[in-house]
Amino acid sequence: MLEDIKTLRKAPREEYYVPGHRTCAGCGPALQYRLVAKAAGANTIFIGPTGCMYVANTSYGCGPWAVPWIHAQITNGGAVGSGIEAAYKALIRKHKTDAEFPNVIVMAGDGGSSDIGIQALSGAFYRGHNLLFICYDNESYANTGIQTSPTTPYGAWTTFTPAGPVSPEGKKLFPKDLPKIMSHGHPELKYLATASIAFPVDLMNKVRRGLNAQGPSFLYIHAPCPKGWSFPSEKTVSIAKLAVDTGMFQLYEMTEDRRFKVTYRPKELKPVEEYLKLQGRFKHLRPEHIEKLQNFAQRRMQEVGIEITLLSS
Amino acid sequence: MGVKKRISGCVAVANGVKLADVDVICSYPIRPYTGIMSELARMVADGELDAEFIHGEGEHAQLSVVYGASACGARAFTGSSGVGVTYAMEVYSPISGERLPLQMAIADRTLDPPGDFGSEHTDALCTRDQGWLQGWSSTPQEALDMTLMWYRIGEDPRVLLPQYSCQDGYFVSHILGEVEIPDAAQVKEFLPPYKNHHVLDVRRPQIIGAQIEPAMGPPLQYQRYQAVEGARQVIKQAHAEFAGIFGRSYDPFVEEYMTDDAEAAIFIQGAHAETAKTVARRLRNLGEKVGVVRLRVFRPYPTQEVRLALSKFKAVGVVDNSANFGIAGSSGVMLTEARTALYNLGDKVKTVGFVGGLGGEMITHDEFYRMFAKLKEIAKNGKTDRDGYWLPFEL
Ligand SMILES: Cc1ncc(C[n+]2csc(CCOP(=O)(O)OP(=O)(O)O)c2C)c(N)n1
Ligand code: SF4
Repeated sequence: MLEDIKTLRKAPREEYYVPGHRTCAGCGPALQYRLVAKAAGANTIFIGPTGCMYVANTSYGCGPWAVPWIHAQITNGGAVGSGIEAAYKALIRKHKTDAEFPNVIVMAGDGGSSDIGIQALSGAFYRGHNLLFICYDNESYANTGIQTSPTTPYGAWTTFTPAGPVSPEGKKLFPKDLPKIMSHGHPELKYLATASIAFPVDLMNKVRRGLNAQGPSFLYIHAPCPKGWSFPSEKTVSIAKLAVDTGMFQLYEMTEDRRFKVTYRPKELKPVEEYLKLQGRFKHLRPEHIEKLQNFAQRRMQEVGIEITLLSS
Repeated sequence: MGVKKRISGCVAVANGVKLADVDVICSYPIRPYTGIMSELARMVADGELDAEFIHGEGEHAQLSVVYGASACGARAFTGSSGVGVTYAMEVYSPISGERLPLQMAIADRTLDPPGDFGSEHTDALCTRDQGWLQGWSSTPQEALDMTLMWYRIGEDPRVLLPQYSCQDGYFVSHILGEVEIPDAAQVKEFLPPYKNHHVLDVRRPQIIGAQIEPAMGPPLQYQRYQAVEGARQVIKQAHAEFAGIFGRSYDPFVEEYMTDDAEAAIFIQGAHAETAKTVARRLRNLGEKVGVVRLRVFRPYPTQEVRLALSKFKAVGVVDNSANFGIAGSSGVMLTEARTALYNLGDKVKTVGFVGGLGGEMITHDEFYRMFAKLKEIAKNGKTDRDGYWLPFEL
């Protein structure tokens, strides 16, 4: 059992995601990786589907992990994780290894989780493998140069959804809600939560609860990307915090009876515009587009039981 | 000593997998290879084999599951047919690139269309250049033996490569043949436990599959090339050891049938070779100087052995049981590769391609008679008037 971490000071000092990578300055996904590895500890195997957390981490034949790591295709993180889990089960049962059963963690981008990799993710959860699947959500296909993914917000500029006279808002579709897709319909699911790099202690504890659950666990981590979202690299954590304080991202866990339990409630809700205006990807939005995003945040909050209304300014 | 049973190619492979004490198996249904998996599922359910049996959500997942399993040091097995083989295409190169010696059985089937269940080598041949070892069995006995031999060869520290163990759908996979199922103790002697130093183990952390800079590309690909090329030696050695332990011997690369003093020969792989042999035998009884050469290993292609075997004939008919639209020579990959093997000998041996048995059709005795007749004509005239013939339309 991995114990809950009470405060940041009480977090383990050991690092398993160490210097020696080439992620952009202020990379949200890299920040969450460090916290995840710290929380999981030495008895961990990471699976890295193609995406920034593979490419920017492992350039030049090396990588920043002090624990075993293996590349997976962008398509198959869940299936490779399944094979690793199954191998350890068989090898331990058949006395072919004297290793302990490891924490098996798949670290996939939103494309590798919600789009091209969703089949492998769903298959692994249906079969009930004992692994933790983390989707770090930087809200785009970042590694290929910022293209729209199913979790890219409505109205965001990407190189595949540029704003122009014909489509003034840029991206027209509303994003897939991956944690909701995962939360119901996989009977073997043991744990599910969302987390944010702006809430590091909460994030690490959710990693630990997912690992303690000894079954398919899903963690959805909001991880801003300065390059793709166009904001200064020192703002990553404050942008992540604003996403939660405007209701654009909600923090919750799933209880054993499959209900959502909110783990952080903003005391007062800020308008989404405060979040949008700091990011270049939204700079083309008109008031009617912003209103749609405000309604979107409201709807998503209601779905998980955050009932706060925006005080009209 | 083993026991003799009448079993199909599918059941034979399942017996091979059980004898190899495989740890992780990943299945997905598609005819005709499915019979291998249902037999393995039964063995696991009945407690005859201790393995994790995972139902993949598709063939792409099958290959991904065994990739992960093999990277932890487990002996892993999967298989497929037809469009299932091509659906998994993305994952073949990562498996050989990370040097994971897992095994995949392929019971051949056409791609779609025609969408029937018929046998064709097209599916497996699509995967031929992915850095895997690949060979075809022509009987259930050979299918079982090849399962054991491929693990032994692929897991050899000098090789460390995955293996496609192919058999013709239906003609081998579903036809009963007498099979000697070897004794578990003999198998233990032949096939040592899988040990790879390059595995995921928290006690010795390793990074597997990191990105590289372009300058690291050539040596990395060259190493895989050398591993495939170098497998030839190990293939020979394993066949010799196999014969010593089990008392059954195969020519490692090419099997020759009635080729002494033959002037014309059919060059072929897989189960249709058995029909070709029957026809050759009958023609021999009529005094014709004909023979058959059967290719057993397609990757690494046994260039020297093929050259040696085929160079003694005046005319060689190369049979392709795959659809290779627009290929050089308008026939198939068996022809182009045989011609490459023969190329340095000049135009001494006349070669012609015969495309047959597509869509799961049999290649009939009558068709083999027509092929031999054409070869006789070519041998006599010393020339070919075309590169290839599609049977039955063009010959
Ligand atoms: C089958 C396949 N298609 C496309 C690609 C190209 N590709 C490489 S990285 C990448 C983006 C991955 O996006 P995501 O999973 O969201 O992770 P991120 O890069 O944003 O961290 C894509 C599409 C690929 N590697 N494999
Ligand atoms: S593009 Fe975004 S996700 Fe990728 S390394 Fe840079 S900041 Fe991180």
